[in-house]
Amino acid sequence: MTLLLLLPALALVLGVFLWPLLRYGWLSLQASSVLTGLVPMPNGGANWQRLLADARFWQDAAQTLRFAGLSLALELLLGLGLALLLHRPLPRRGLVRALVLLPWALPTTVMALGWRWILNDPFGPLNGLLQSLGLPAYGFLSQPASTWLFTVLADVWKTTPFVALLLLAGLQAIPSELEEALRLEGAGPWQRLRRLTLPLLAPYLLLTALFRLAQALGVFDLIQVLTGGGPASSTESLALYAYLNAMRFLDFGYAATLMLGMFALVLGLSALVLLTQALRRRLAEVTP
Amino acid sequence: MPIALPLLAALIWSLLPLLWQLLTSLRTPEALVLQGPAAWLQGWTLANYRQVLQGDPPFWRYLFNSCLVGAASTGLTLLLAIPAAYGLQRQRPALRGGISLLLLAAAMFPYVLLFLALLELARALGWGNQLLALALPYAGLSLPLAVLLLRAAFADLPAELEDAARLEGLNLWQRLHRVLLPLLAPAVASTAILVFLFSWNEYPIALTWISRNDMLTLPVAMARIAGSSVYAVPYGAFAAATVLGGLPLLALVLVFQRQIVSGLTQGAVKG
Repeated sequence: MTLLLLLPALALVLGVFLWPLLRYGWLSLQASSVLTGLVPMPNGGANWQRLLADARFWQDAAQTLRFAGLSLALELLLGLGLALLLHRPLPRRGLVRALVLLPWALPTTVMALGWRWILNDPFGPLNGLLQSLGLPAYGFLSQPASTWLFTVLADVWKTTPFVALLLLAGLQAIPSELEEALRLEGAGPWQRLRRLTLPLLAPYLLLTALFRLAQALGVFDLIQVLTGGGPASSTESLALYAYLNAMRFLDFGYAATLMLGMFALVLGLSALVLLTQALRRRLAEVTP
Repeated sequence: MPIALPLLAALIWSLLPLLWQLLTSLRTPEALVLQGPAAWLQGWTLANYRQVLQGDPPFWRYLFNSCLVGAASTGLTLLLAIPAAYGLQRQRPALRGGISLLLLAAAMFPYVLLFLALLELARALGWGNQLLALALPYAGLSLPLAVLLLRAAFADLPAELEDAARLEGLNLWQRLHRVLLPLLAPAVASTAILVFLFSWNEYPIALTWISRNDMLTLPVAMARIAGSSVYAVPYGAFAAATVLGGLPLLALVLVFQRQIVSGLTQGAVKG
């Protein structure tokens, strides 16, 4: 009887999450593009063969991984620092938290445009700073080798507060008596962090890392607005490539194949993270 | 270690890019490209705000659209999530655990992947350019987190409470409405604000479902400014739009800071 209460919500969730994946599975086996008038026609595994041989797909996969890896590392590191800071007794704690949280609450597209102005060559404030130091202006968004670093910067700026708040929840769950006991034993701040805080925070770090990994692998809004995937496709993410295939090249069959390729990547990497965590825990149990 | 210094650094890091938008929004286009300290003495203007507010459609239209979609999505999500959370909490532990795990996986899912199939649905059903239709996918995307948060809140209520209400002869609707929900108000508020923020900020679905200029939500309207030209983005006007679009969120975050934080942290603890 109480199961009935769940049904409407579950139906909508399945419709939104499961239906697209099933649909992509079918669509990825069809030719459905401008050439077929967007009418699906079975084409064997041609989309999948194309995917495996598509240099742009593999390049974008590598670029997406690079982006996700660096963003995740920086966000966890800075987020942990920020969480430790916010965990201490602060004056006007509520206000401080609200202000720190603001970058996360603003729409990504809005702040991506903001960063586009900050990084503008040569009139943006960052170049203004460089020039007032007597340095030449730098094309932050026009260097195929380095522009991806500034997409990471914008992502880290926006998402670190969110990571910090999730970790703050973990810090607040640690009993303060434990910390006090270690302090009385003469353990310094660094030792307390390593022996007490980090081990007890591990499940929160894992959950946050998994969540952020999945979101960063799907990065779309930020890239589309900040760089449009450029210069020379050097910042293009898998999601943007799939979007272009669907909306610009009007190739729904291949776009669906790309979506599934991306899904496999997210699933595979999440499983990898979970496995290594399980393995490490097992190792820690057998080696005291 | 003194705490003031790192705290100040964190605040500057968070706020400086935003303050820069505020400054940019108050400058004339000519002043934006001037160099040197002397440039700061001239070129202040409110013209950017006038331009944005008198645009076609005027800027408040996007704010209104986003508010409408946000309110509808939040309402629909709560309507479905509250009974679902109650129902989930009443299941056997094995089933409850299984469903919770699936919901958690869905909550983490990079939903941008879904836009193409959802767009096909919207086209088939004639939902393109219908603002309120956006509430359906938004509710579907928000439900996993909403149900998990509210389920955790139901679990925190003492079981005797509902038993007592049942002995009083209250039916399920009365128990939920009169006894349980008032106690859940904080969790409902946290959930509501997170859902509202999500739908306010959502981009890929709004981008593909809505094409009419006066129907755009705020994030899409902003991005359209960027797409208009790669080289000559009207930064002054855009910065003014950022400020106007950011102010409601600033107010929201300042007022509901506690609910946002507790929503996120509950999600981390119980999820």
